[in-house]
Amino acid sequence: MRIDHLKTASPLPLKRVIFVLLAASVLSAAIYQALRAGDDLYLTASVFATRFLGIFIEAVPFLLMGSLTSGLIETFVKTDDILRFLPRSRLGAALGGTALGLIFPVCECGVVPVTRRLFRKGLPLSMGVAFLLAAPFMNPIVFASTYIAFGFGGVLIGRALLTVLVAVIVATVIGTFADPREVLKPTSAKADEETCHHHPHGGPSLRAKLFSAMQIGADDFFEMGRFLILGSALAALLQTFVPQDSLLALGAGPVMSVLFMQILAFLLSVCSTVDSFLALAFVNTFSTGAIISFLSFGPMVDIKSTLMFTGVFRRKIVLYLVLLPFVLNLLAGVLINVALGY
Amino acid sequence: MSAEHQHHSQIDEATWAKSLILFGMGIYLAVLIFTGNLANYINLRFAWLAYVGTALFFLLALANLYACLSPRRAHSHHHIGWDSLLIVAFPLLLALLIPSRSLGVEAVSGGIGLSPVGVEGVASLNRNPLDRNILDWLRAFNRASTPAAFNGQPVDVSGFVYREPRMGADEFMVSRFTMSCCVADAYPIGMPVRSGAASDFAPGAWVRVRGEVLADLFGGEFAPIVLADAVDSIEEPAQPYLYP
Repeated sequence: MRIDHLKTASPLPLKRVIFVLLAASVLSAAIYQALRAGDDLYLTASVFATRFLGIFIEAVPFLLMGSLTSGLIETFVKTDDILRFLPRSRLGAALGGTALGLIFPVCECGVVPVTRRLFRKGLPLSMGVAFLLAAPFMNPIVFASTYIAFGFGGVLIGRALLTVLVAVIVATVIGTFADPREVLKPTSAKADEETCHHHPHGGPSLRAKLFSAMQIGADDFFEMGRFLILGSALAALLQTFVPQDSLLALGAGPVMSVLFMQILAFLLSVCSTVDSFLALAFVNTFSTGAIISFLSFGPMVDIKSTLMFTGVFRRKIVLYLVLLPFVLNLLAGVLINVALGY
Repeated sequence: MSAEHQHHSQIDEATWAKSLILFGMGIYLAVLIFTGNLANYINLRFAWLAYVGTALFFLLALANLYACLSPRRAHSHHHIGWDSLLIVAFPLLLALLIPSRSLGVEAVSGGIGLSPVGVEGVASLNRNPLDRNILDWLRAFNRASTPAAFNGQPVDVSGFVYREPRMGADEFMVSRFTMSCCVADAYPIGMPVRSGAASDFAPGAWVRVRGEVLADLFGGEFAPIVLADAVDSIEEPAQPYLYP
């Protein structure tokens, strides 16, 4: 009797696995056959697969690094440690948040799980938002790649200044929503008590802590990975069906060029560690303001990070997190163009 | 069978599935590296990323497997749903179902660029004409003060065949995708070719074109047109893209 009751309450997971796997394979086989039948469709699917896997392959190592960092923070950083060093003022917190990127070197795929973890450890909202937006640039790898691509000059300095400026402004604005609970999803808000039921048996040895960090990292990878994958798929779909040169034709003039490059940054969803090389490809075609806005806005917001934001923030805040950096970077890019007399 | 036991076995199933997917991803990246198919997806300047990814996937997979095999160890306590597992497994499914291919003629949407991408260095100008690839040619051509400066220089380039309705029966474009980071920024460029054998080659076929250059109007703008002496079928190169 009791077993029956259990079964109806929650079906055996093994059965569910088999069912899901069967359903998935039947579905994929059907799709595969349909694609083979229609040659054009098959080729289109192949182009989509190449584009999707390309974005995924380049981004996934960074998500892994970010997830592992998140696991290490969970196991090794105590909430008290964070609270002790907090700046008091909101502006101070926002500035501190941008500098936090130097301590946790992550790019835009890795920054979301780390930010979420830091929020749960009690990091103030404005600091976390500033970290989220600035960290993808504020790390040695991105400094290096920007330097290699553009040398030490206007683009590197402009990118750094604009990134910090926009991150601080957006963080201060969002920081005025006093209660993090109105901003964060429940799973991201600070845990009321330290969830320390990981080591019920024996003391937390270094080995056990490392294993725990890796397991938490793996969980974070799965939780954030789905947003990365959905975002990559969306970006790949757009690239497969929207001709690139129809966009290129739009990108002329001091305003339109900035607007275009920002939309491109959003759509392409290229990682911040390598986007300088991509921007290099547009140096001849686009204004300096557009290049700097591209390099500042791209790491903050793109399709895949927007989807990842939805796993941390409530929907209204995600909208702010996308629109505010967009508008601020656009303004800055146009101002730079005007100042340079483009 | 207690409810608690049920809960634990359910977590274990998910942990097994997680290990499997993580191992699968690690193996997938390793296979890409060993077969050289990685070049279909990213600029090999960033191949080290795939090495890091492979190592981290195996590391996380082993840690999860360890958790499966020693039930007294700590389990992760938040549950990963089956929907998440399926979505994360999607790249693996796609990689298994659709054979790995580089972007070719099917991926060209809206025409081939005649302007070079990237910064035009002097290197392309100074390079021996026979060593110039399509990107070098377009760069050198764009920097030249008069389009006719290159007339008569020998050309030896390879790429895939691309044809537009407006082209004559003896014309096609020999094209390559350029790629700075990964296929996300791939952009097709090409040089027009005039050859009596043009109609022998289907769109998408890889060819080596030898001949000499003539600066002429092509679709309203000056372009380095190849007057081909020989067009030969070749295998797709190991590095299908040009790196600016």
